[in-house]
Amino acid sequence: MSKPGVASLHEALQKSFQGLENNQKIWTSLLAECVPLLESLGNLAEQSKALSNVQLSITPLRVFPDLEDRLRFKLQEAMDTVLVKLNEKMSSFQSVRDAITNHVSGVVQLYEQLTDSLDLNCVTERSATAPSIADMMEWLQDAGRHYQRQFMKRKLLLQTLRPDDLTLMESAPGRWKSLASQSAEDNITDAFFKVSFFMES
Amino acid sequence: MKTLRQLSVDPSDLGSQRCRLGPGLMSDLGLNLGSPVLVSVPGGSCLCSAWPRSDLAEGFLQMDLKCSSPSVMLHPHSHLHLEPGQLTPVSCPKLKGVKITVVVQSVDFKKYTPSRIIHEHVKDVLKGVYVHEKHVINLEDFDTEIRFVIIESLNPDCTSTGLITSKTGVEICGIQTVRHFRSHLQDRPQVTLGGLEEVSASMREMLQLPLLYPNTLNSLGVSCPRGVLLVGPPGVGKTLLVHKVVGEVGASLVVVKGPEVVGSRPGESEEKLRAVFKRARSEAVEGPCVLFLDELDSLCPRRTGSSSPENRLVAQLLTLMDGMDQSDRFLMVGATNRPDSLDSALRRPGRFDREVIIGAPTLQQRKSILSVLCATVPVCPSVDMTELAQRTSGYVGADLSALCREAAMNAIRENSKGSGVKLVSMHHFQEALKVVRPSCLRSSLGRTELSPVSWEQIGGLDDVKLKLRQSIEWPMIYPEAFIRLGLNCPRGVLLYGPPGCAKTTLVRAAASSSHCSFLSVSGADLYSPYVGDSEKALAQLFRQARACAPCILFLDEIDSLIGSRSTGQTSNSVHTRLLSVLLNEMDGVGLKTLERRGNEKILQAEGVEENHTHEKLDCQEVSNKDVMVVAATNRPDSLDSALLRPGRLDHIIYVPPPDKQARHAILKACTHSMPLAADVNLEELAAQTGLYSGADLGNLCKEAALLALQCENMEASVIKHTYFLQSLHKMSPSLTAQQIHTYQTPLR
Repeated sequence: MSKPGVASLHEALQKSFQGLENNQKIWTSLLAECVPLLESLGNLAEQSKALSNVQLSITPLRVFPDLEDRLRFKLQEAMDTVLVKLNEKMSSFQSVRDAITNHVSGVVQLYEQLTDSLDLNCVTERSATAPSIADMMEWLQDAGRHYQRQFMKRKLLLQTLRPDDLTLMESAPGRWKSLASQSAEDNITDAFFKVSFFMES
Repeated sequence: MKTLRQLSVDPSDLGSQRCRLGPGLMSDLGLNLGSPVLVSVPGGSCLCSAWPRSDLAEGFLQMDLKCSSPSVMLHPHSHLHLEPGQLTPVSCPKLKGVKITVVVQSVDFKKYTPSRIIHEHVKDVLKGVYVHEKHVINLEDFDTEIRFVIIESLNPDCTSTGLITSKTGVEICGIQTVRHFRSHLQDRPQVTLGGLEEVSASMREMLQLPLLYPNTLNSLGVSCPRGVLLVGPPGVGKTLLVHKVVGEVGASLVVVKGPEVVGSRPGESEEKLRAVFKRARSEAVEGPCVLFLDELDSLCPRRTGSSSPENRLVAQLLTLMDGMDQSDRFLMVGATNRPDSLDSALRRPGRFDREVIIGAPTLQQRKSILSVLCATVPVCPSVDMTELAQRTSGYVGADLSALCREAAMNAIRENSKGSGVKLVSMHHFQEALKVVRPSCLRSSLGRTELSPVSWEQIGGLDDVKLKLRQSIEWPMIYPEAFIRLGLNCPRGVLLYGPPGCAKTTLVRAAASSSHCSFLSVSGADLYSPYVGDSEKALAQLFRQARACAPCILFLDEIDSLIGSRSTGQTSNSVHTRLLSVLLNEMDGVGLKTLERRGNEKILQAEGVEENHTHEKLDCQEVSNKDVMVVAATNRPDSLDSALLRPGRLDHIIYVPPPDKQARHAILKACTHSMPLAADVNLEELAAQTGLYSGADLGNLCKEAALLALQCENMEASVIKHTYFLQSLHKMSPSLTAQQIHTYQTPLR
């Protein structure tokens, strides 16, 4: 039994869970901020689509010169603004994800350094107040993977939007919402409950 | 150590690359948390990171197939029992670089997404994953368009496993779609095929040329042929050929089976057909592709009437084929066994440019098919493939495979009785030959089962036997002599002579001594109340006979079957029409193109260094490609003179009534199984039975035996000479001197 190794690993785990909890809050708030942006993006796409469908020359609006081009320009400008904002949000998402991955890999690295002094019994030992090190590392990794997955999905969704495929863009808000995976979030929250005694110790 | 039971993976572990083990096993193997471990399973292996089970139980294994061999990825095993020895800890150094192929879900994604985005995404996703060379990384849990990543090679290349970090350089070699990836994995089992080298070479060329030399073809301004129609009787291996070529070239295959496309609602079939072409087009973007229309005759029948629904389907197919432009680089292959029922518009250059006719296999082809089929069967070395190929005239590839299967089954049956022989030997094949009949002759009207008769069972007639052997057996046995002297195989033989003189029996003996197919036809088979039906049946009979050449076609009582034009009956009767069909079939202008078999081989062009047996087989093949017609009649004067000229029935053999010696021989043969008393003098009997035919003599022996039973009650043990003489008194010969005289006057 090499207590010092376990102690330092426990310390790192406590820190990581703390970091994870903070970052989870940031992530949720970021997600909430993104929803209106995406909705406006979908809205703009719908407007562009309507514009393509209408023939302005047979409406009373035909007296305005170049109306269609001007409108389209306006809409595209607005889309650009939204996309720039979304891009900023994505970088914030990325920094959150990076922070979480850093926490996870930090713990894993520390474990790898201490492998020689820690045998498997010690790693899988559980007590009334603290789950085993293996379990906690597993939860951390699962959480890291979840955020990685979420981030990649959302990023790819935005990256595959094309100005010439308005249907795709119109459906973006719906698809964005469907990406959220409640069960994985619940698992992470569960993990927090499981480690609550350990955090307080 | 006890075995591990594999359980299905925990949903929360999906995509984690974890392999859940008991902690005891982990420490036995020297594994730590997250250490890479290579698990070998049937068909491949899987690279995982070890992790203790949360309940710490031993004896179970749950692994996530994030990084595994392609075959394991496609067909994951479940509920395996693994030995702990199948788990090997491996070391995974950090990699400098990795070359990968990305597999994406849809063609659209591949087309529209910039490679920069894919690269960035893949690099991000692969971070922290243990990879193995030639393994596939499963990214399906990310639920994005990027489905798999195939690891092509690693840098440094001294290791086969490694860990991808943020510093690892990722190089994308290519992007495929999932369908392409899967179809390539599934085509792996190689089909072997004998005897169709030439056809498969030409198909391979058509597939590969546009891929290998696209610029040359462009600069020449020619388009490569894009349609091939395979025509041949069922079972010659049309479908297998396509699968083989596709597998060799590594092309993807889109199969359309005729009946699958046809839907019940109007317009549904056309829609399905369009979808198939679209699929082929999208596959062709990624590599060579073959669109295979199997059973084309059901899909595209000849258009009839005005508004049948098939017409629309045919029209749709035609327009789709015309709509293929230069950029669609897929080859279209159609296969049918009824080319005459296809719409004629299909068979023109630009649609199906080439027509490849695969006939029933020739001797050489059968030999190579047999050697391919027997490659995996433990065959006794005494089995002679050449002899087997000679015995199987008229068998197509499917028949031969059934033959081999049946022979193997015979061997198994024998083995199960405890003989302990593990090899398939020649007599197993001979048993199987009795069960498996050639499918060329199936449903043929002339197919007959005949009990074998040997030449020795026929008494006398030695010169007739010799002549028959000359015309039937010699071309089979001494082909090279025939070729050397420039002899052609005779087309036909006419046997004539008084009734009861063993004409039919002679033919039976000839058929059983030469191992060629034997068809026999009588009037009952041919005549039909419908006009033209009999002629069609006769032509069909000849076609089948040619398909399984060398073949003997026996027309018994030909005078009643086919009349003469000169006898002044009403012309245009069925008889005369049948006669004209027969004359045409025996010595017509040529064969129909559809009946082509094998490759047109000319003997002179053969290389010098070829060995003797090969040459002999070739000779045999060349000199025996025709059907031999054997006719028998006892009224030769009523035959049409056109039938009797050389080139048709060119050997006219008179089967005479037996002379004294012959009668003696016949009596000997007839009494072979009878217990004769010592005083029986067969020579005296032979002298007394002038004008008796062979059948009469047989009857005489029978009568004598019956008489013996009658006089001596049922206890008679020998037949005495007196009984023969008594029965001879009661009988009179069936021939008359005048009758024999008419036969002996020359026919022509």
